[in-house]
Amino acid sequence: MPLDTSTYGLALLRVDGRRWNELRRIYAQIRTQAAADGSSYLEMGHTKVMCVVTGPSEPGPRRGAGISSAGGAGGGGGGAGGQSKDAEVVVNIVIAGFSSVDRKRRGRSDKRTLEMQSTLANTLAATLHTHLFPHSQITISLHVLSQDGSLLAALINAATLACVDAGIPMTDYVTACTAGSTSTYAANDEGADPLLDLNHQEEQELPGLTVATLGESDRVVALVCESRVQISRLEGMLAVGVDGCKQVREILDQVIKAQGQKMILEGTVDKGTGLNDMDLD
Amino acid sequence: MDARPRHLHPPHTTAITSSLAGITTRTNKLISVRPLRARYTPEVGDLVVGRILEVQAKRWRVDVGSVQLAALPLSAINLPGGILRKRTETDELQIRTFFAEGDLLVAEVQQLFGDGAAVLHTRSLKYGKLRNGVFVAVSGMGGGGGVVRSRRQVWTMEGANNAGKMDVILGVNGYVWISKHVETPKEVEQKHMGITNLEENVSATVYSSQNDAIDGDTMREIARLRGVVTALVENGCRVDEDMVVRGYQEAVEMAMLSESGQEDIYLGGERGEQLAAALRGN
Repeated sequence: MPLDTSTYGLALLRVDGRRWNELRRIYAQIRTQAAADGSSYLEMGHTKVMCVVTGPSEPGPRRGAGISSAGGAGGGGGGAGGQSKDAEVVVNIVIAGFSSVDRKRRGRSDKRTLEMQSTLANTLAATLHTHLFPHSQITISLHVLSQDGSLLAALINAATLACVDAGIPMTDYVTACTAGSTSTYAANDEGADPLLDLNHQEEQELPGLTVATLGESDRVVALVCESRVQISRLEGMLAVGVDGCKQVREILDQVIKAQGQKMILEGTVDKGTGLNDMDLD
Repeated sequence: MDARPRHLHPPHTTAITSSLAGITTRTNKLISVRPLRARYTPEVGDLVVGRILEVQAKRWRVDVGSVQLAALPLSAINLPGGILRKRTETDELQIRTFFAEGDLLVAEVQQLFGDGAAVLHTRSLKYGKLRNGVFVAVSGMGGGGGVVRSRRQVWTMEGANNAGKMDVILGVNGYVWISKHVETPKEVEQKHMGITNLEENVSATVYSSQNDAIDGDTMREIARLRGVVTALVENGCRVDEDMVVRGYQEAVEMAMLSESGQEDIYLGGERGEQLAAALRGN
């Protein structure tokens, strides 16, 4: 395996010039689509995703596609959607054909997409206050425009932003990022560094995991690891990942607060009263 | 009592965490957060504009832009042939002759179900089927630049440039209806000084789905007014009577100055920004 990342040991710099604990540039926007209940756009490096939230609303005719959360009352089955006591979270992911280097057609029944859909649906169903919206459905549509690693993490972050924009009450931000290790599973070197926020190339060559945490806490709400990792390295990777999630939370929080401040300045909403600072959290 | 599993709550602290992004307001010891944007939550007494989505045996299901569809029971509408007429089985069989799928109506929220779904009624001559106009959906409810609850949600205004009068209905749910002004039965009654034919009059017109003839001038001004409402929303202004009336006057003046004169009803892009700026300036 031609390992470009094998040069890491020389200068402790990764292929794209980052150090082990650096995130890629994150750029995010909310309220990108005026007609939607909630929407967002997020870039993590060259991974670019778009999210639209519809609802909570009356469940429409079921289209079969999309993975739904079990939603408390076991409403994940066939036609009985909508009748459960909690809102149902339905996630649709569309990966554009032009999003990766080799143009690949992925159908709706692509296994990897389905897996990501169900991970997202379960994560969000646990975090959103779905019990406030009985007999309804929250549809989250995600479009992947460009892929360069950490796709699931980007999808989770975009979905969080869009849910905040849609005004759906939730326990806290769910933020995600990936972590990896500098040496492969087989290599037996002791000094393997953990890496934060893998790009596509690193993801191909090195073991990695995606971790999502709740707000500023250390509580993990989603953890996905699809590669072989030596158990001794796992703890370091997880620690780095959780730390990365906190950094991502700060960035997303800035985005939301900037939008709120903009709306107050434009006079769209009145400034809050009774609290001495502009607390927009 | 919150029945959520323990692990979903923040760890044990006394700090108060908001579950929404919004504006905090503190009244004595009560802290409330109004979201920057959210779906409409019905409250009793709200005036709403809705669209029939489903016809059931004894009721209609109405989209009011809320989390759930609202219900409009057959018993909560004015049946043709007098307010005091008893509801019969024939009415149940003919339910589609009153409202069918896709019809627009204006109604009031009469009560709320336990899960927050609304029950509507149209038992007043102010409410009922909508025609002769155009529908605009803006985001409602506290959310950015939506319709705000206010004293007057329905009014009639004079159209500029030889147009007739226009009715505007701002539903609290963010659905707006702008139509040609049609004389309400009350006004008709004052003209004809007779009450005997009032009820027949009501029955003849209330559930009609046929538009009246609308002259071109009025149509143009209705379209202009719609442009004003969308421009207000696009530029983050709140939508209430004062803003819409002033915005309309401003739009008429802007059209006068433009090359194509009063025919120019375009209010998107820069012109919308110009309109919003003019309104904020005042």
